[in-house]
Amino acid sequence: MKIKNYILYSITFLMFWNFGSGMAQKKLSGKEIITKSQQAFYYAGKDMQAKVLMKLISKNGGERIRELTMLRLNMKDSRDQKYYMYFHRPADVRGMTFMVWKYTGRDDDRWLYIPAIKLVKRIAADDKNSSFVGSDFSYEDVSGRDLSDDIYTLKKEEKINGRDAFVVESVPKQASSAYFSRKVSWIDKETFLPLKEEYYDKRGELYKTFTADKIENIKDIPTIIKRTMLNTQNGHRTEVSFTEVKYNIGLRDNIFSERYLRNAPRKWIR
Amino acid sequence: MTLKQLTYFSINHPKFVIILTLIITGLFLFQFPKAHIDTDPENMLETNQPDRVFYDQIKKDFGIRDMIVLGITDKNGIFQPKTLDKIARITDEILKIKGVIVKDVISFTTTDNVTSEGGLLKVRRIMETVPQTNKEVEAIKTSVYNNPLFVEKIISKKGDAVALYIPIQQKNMSYRISKKIEQIAQKELDKSQKYYIAGLPVAEDTFGFEMFIQMGILAPLIGLVIFLLLFYLFRKISLIISPMIVAMFSVVWGMGALIGLGNTVHIMSSMIPIFLMPIAVLDSVHILSEFYDRYPALQDRKKTMLAVTDELFTPMLYTSLTTAVGFSSLALADIPPVRIFGIFVAIGVIAAWLLTVTFIPASIMLIREEKLKAKISKSVKKPSFLKRILPGIGQFAFTKSRVILLGSIFLLAIGIWGLTKIVVNDNPVNWFNKDSKIRVADRVMNQLFGGTYMAYLTLEGKHPDDIKRPEVMTYISNLQGFLEKKDVVGKTSSVADIVKRIGNVLKGNTTGRGVIPQKQDEIAQYLFLFQMSGNPNDLDNFVNNNYQKANIWVQMKRGDNRDMEQVEKDVKKFTEKNDIPQGIKIRWSGLTYINKVWQNLMVKGMLEAVLGGFAAVFILMLILFRSPGLAFISMMPLTFAIVLSYGLVGFVGKDYDMPIAVVSSLALGLSIDFAIHFILRFQQKYKENGDLEATNNYIFQGPARAISRNAFVIILGFLPLVFATLGPYVTVGVFFALLMAFSTLTTLLLLPGLMRIIGFRFIKK
Repeated sequence: MKIKNYILYSITFLMFWNFGSGMAQKKLSGKEIITKSQQAFYYAGKDMQAKVLMKLISKNGGERIRELTMLRLNMKDSRDQKYYMYFHRPADVRGMTFMVWKYTGRDDDRWLYIPAIKLVKRIAADDKNSSFVGSDFSYEDVSGRDLSDDIYTLKKEEKINGRDAFVVESVPKQASSAYFSRKVSWIDKETFLPLKEEYYDKRGELYKTFTADKIENIKDIPTIIKRTMLNTQNGHRTEVSFTEVKYNIGLRDNIFSERYLRNAPRKWIR
Repeated sequence: MTLKQLTYFSINHPKFVIILTLIITGLFLFQFPKAHIDTDPENMLETNQPDRVFYDQIKKDFGIRDMIVLGITDKNGIFQPKTLDKIARITDEILKIKGVIVKDVISFTTTDNVTSEGGLLKVRRIMETVPQTNKEVEAIKTSVYNNPLFVEKIISKKGDAVALYIPIQQKNMSYRISKKIEQIAQKELDKSQKYYIAGLPVAEDTFGFEMFIQMGILAPLIGLVIFLLLFYLFRKISLIISPMIVAMFSVVWGMGALIGLGNTVHIMSSMIPIFLMPIAVLDSVHILSEFYDRYPALQDRKKTMLAVTDELFTPMLYTSLTTAVGFSSLALADIPPVRIFGIFVAIGVIAAWLLTVTFIPASIMLIREEKLKAKISKSVKKPSFLKRILPGIGQFAFTKSRVILLGSIFLLAIGIWGLTKIVVNDNPVNWFNKDSKIRVADRVMNQLFGGTYMAYLTLEGKHPDDIKRPEVMTYISNLQGFLEKKDVVGKTSSVADIVKRIGNVLKGNTTGRGVIPQKQDEIAQYLFLFQMSGNPNDLDNFVNNNYQKANIWVQMKRGDNRDMEQVEKDVKKFTEKNDIPQGIKIRWSGLTYINKVWQNLMVKGMLEAVLGGFAAVFILMLILFRSPGLAFISMMPLTFAIVLSYGLVGFVGKDYDMPIAVVSSLALGLSIDFAIHFILRFQQKYKENGDLEATNNYIFQGPARAISRNAFVIILGFLPLVFATLGPYVTVGVFFALLMAFSTLTTLLLLPGLMRIIGFRFIKK
C-alpha cells in the first residue's frame, strides 16, 4: 500500500517536473485552455481602442481596403461586450458606423448608420457564416463564439513558430450551429493567444486558416497586431493590422448608443 | 510509276509485308492508353481567340463557375412541411459532394434573404429551419415571393418547383456530380415529386461520357454491317477478311497518330473511326470486284493481281488523294478540333490506301490457288442483281441524255434555291435525343424558371468605382428591363438589383423592384451594407473588386445560337438608341455566347474549307485527266451532291449545325471518287475503240458495278449511325448517306449523257 502510494507520488512529481516550472500545477483541459484563450484574445483589458486596416485580397491579387476605428468595452458582471466601429475607408462609405452589443447565450444586437440617407437600422443576422464587411472573417471570428457551443479536446502539445502551444480541437455540439465541422487551434502556452487555427467544412476539408503574424505587448498585454485569414478553397485572404492600440482608456457605456452612431464621438474617433 | 512498286513488292513478298504491317499497327495501338478526352466546347476556339480570352477574364473577375441546376417539382406544391424537409435534406447531402463549391450554392437553406420588419433589417437564410406549422410555411412563402431576386430563379411562379444552383470546381466533374445528385434525389423523393438536372456543363460532360459508349457500340456495329455487305457482294470470307483488317488498321493508325502526337479526343475526333471504316474498304471493294471479274479468265492469282493493279492503281491513288484533300481542307477552319479531325481522317485515308495497295495483294497471295478457283468460278455463274440492272440504266442514261441534262439543271436550280433557305444554328443540348433526360430537364426547367442558359453582359469603366456612378447603375437597370421583355430571355440579375433591393428594404417597402439612388455615396453605402450582412460572394458575381466592371447575368430559356445572336442584335440597337454612359464599354460573354462565337467561325471556316477543297480537288483532276473539260465534268457528281443535299437541308428546315457542316468536306473527298473511276475508265476504253455507245456499255458492265458496290458499302456502312442516341452521329449517318446517294445517281445518270454530248471531245486519241 505504502509502496504503491510512494510510486504514485513519484510519478506525479516527475510529470510536473517534466512540464517545466512556469506551468500551473495542474494539467489544463481543452475547455479551460479555450476559456483562457478567449479571455486573452477577445476580452483583454477593460476596454480597447484600435485603428484597424483590413486588406481583402483576391487570389489574383485584387485588393479592397477597409479602414475603421474600433472601440470595445467589456461589461462588468458578465461576458457581454459592446463594440463600436467607425469606417474611414473606402472613401464613399466614410462615416458609416456600426455597433454590436454582444451577448452570451443569445443573438447579438447590431445597428448600422447609413450617412447618405441619415438612417440607423437595426440588423438581425446570422453570425455563424456571415462575413464581416466582406472579409474572410465571420462575425464570430471577430467577436468570439459562445464557449458553450462546442466540445473541446486537447489533442497534443507542440511547438509552432518556435513557441510552445496547446493543440485544441473544437467540435460544435450542434452541427447546424456552425459553418465548420471541426476547428483546430494552436494556443500559445504563455500568452494563450491563438497562433494558428484551421477550420474544416462539413465535408471534412480544410477551408480557412487563421494565423497570428505579429504579436506585441501593449501596456503589458500581449496583442495580436497582425493577423491573416486565408480561404484555402478559393485563395482569397484578408490581412488585418491593428495600429494605435490602447487599453483601459476609460470608455463610457453611453458611447455605445444610437446618438453616437449618428454623431461619432470625436474624442475617440479621429 | 514508282509507287506501283509497292504493290509489286507486296505480291512478291506477302509474308514480309503482313508481318511489317502488324508491327506498325502494334506501335500505333500502343499509343491508345494515352488518350485524353475533351468535351469542353470552349476548346472549339483557339486559346488566344479574343472572345475566349475575355471569357476567361470574366470568370476570374467575377468568380464565375460552371453550374449544375437541380429542379425539384411537387405537383401538390413545394410549400408544405414534408416537401420543404426533403429539399433541406437533399441540399445538405449535395453540400457534401466533393467538387461542389459549398459557399456559392444557391438554395432555400444556403441563400440569405434580406427583409425588413419594422425598424429591423433581417438577413437570414430563406429557410433556416424546416417549418413545422402551416403558419411558418406561409411566412417563408411570403418572404420568398416578396424578393424579386428569387422569383423564377429559385422558385417557380406557381410555387410548384424550386431550383438549386450548384457551382462546381471544374466542368469535367459535371457528369460525376450530376450522377451523385441523381442518387440523392432518387432516395429522397416520392411519387408526387420529380427532379430535373440541367445546365450546359452537364450536357457537355454527359456527351463526353455517352460518346465513349456510342463509340463502343457503333464502331463494331458498322464493322459488322460492312462485313455483311462485303460477304453479300463477294461470298468468300477468306477474301473479305483482309478488307476488314484494312478498315480496322487504318482506324488504329489514324487514331494512334492522333493520340500519339498529344491531341485530345474531342467530340469531333471521336467520330474518326466511324468515318474511316467505310471509307477504308472502298479501294478494297474495287480490287476485289476487278479480281472477281478477271480471275475466271486468267486462273492465276499472281497474274490476276498484277492485271488488277495495272488497271486500278491510278484511280485508287487519285480517289484516296482527293478524299484526303477533302478532309485536309478542314485544316483551313479556325476551329482546332475540326482541324485535328480533318488532318487525322486524311492521315487515316492515306493509311487505308497504303494498306490497300500492300496488305490486300499480300493477303490474296497467301490464299491457296485451288481455293480461289473453286470459290470464284462458282459465284460467277449466277448474275447478280447489279449485273442485271446496270446495263439497262447505262442504256437509259445514254439515250435520254438531253432530257436528263435538262432535268439536272432544273434540280440544281431548286437546290440552289434551297441553299438560300439554310438556317445556321446549334445547341449542345439538342445533341441528345428528344426524350433523353437532359432534353426533358431542359424543357421543364426553362418553362418553370428564368432560363438555364447563361450569358453575361459585361460593363467596364475607365476608372475604379465607375460602376457605382448613378447613371451607370441606372443604365444597367434599364438594360435589364429591356432584356427581360425579350421572349427568349428569362431572368436577368445584376448589382443594380441588389442596390434596388437594399434601398427598398431600408425604406421598409416589402414589394416592388425599387429605384436606383441618384447619389454615388448612397449606392456605395447600400452595397457596403449588403456586404456587411450577407455572403460577400453574392456580390462578387456581379461586380469586380474595385467596382470598375459589372456583370449582368442573362438567363436564357433557349441555348440556340440563333437566339443568342438575336439578343445580341437587340442589345446593340438598345445601345445605339440609348447613349452608353461615358467611359463605359459593353461586351458579351458566357458559355451560350461562346457557343455562338465558335459556330459563326465554323460556318465561315467551313465555307472556306469547302471552297478551298473544291479548288484543290479540281487541280488534282486537271493533273489526272490533263483536260479542263474532263476535270469540269468530273466535278459534277460532287457539285450535285453538295448542292442538292444542302438544298434539302434548307427546305426541310434542319439547322445547319456542326455535324452538317463537317459532312460537306467528307462529301467533297468521297463523291469525286465515283467520277474518277467512271471517267478514267471511260477515257481508257474510248481511246481503244472510239465508239461512245460501246464504251458506255462497257462501263455499265464492269466499273459501274464496282461504283455501285462502293455506293452500297458507304451508304449502308454509315447507316448504323441512325441508331445512335446522340444527335450528331445520327445527323452524320443520315446526311452522309443522302450525299452519297446523290453522288451515285449523278455519276450513273448524268455522266453518260455528259460524256456523250461534250465529254468525248476532250479525249485525245
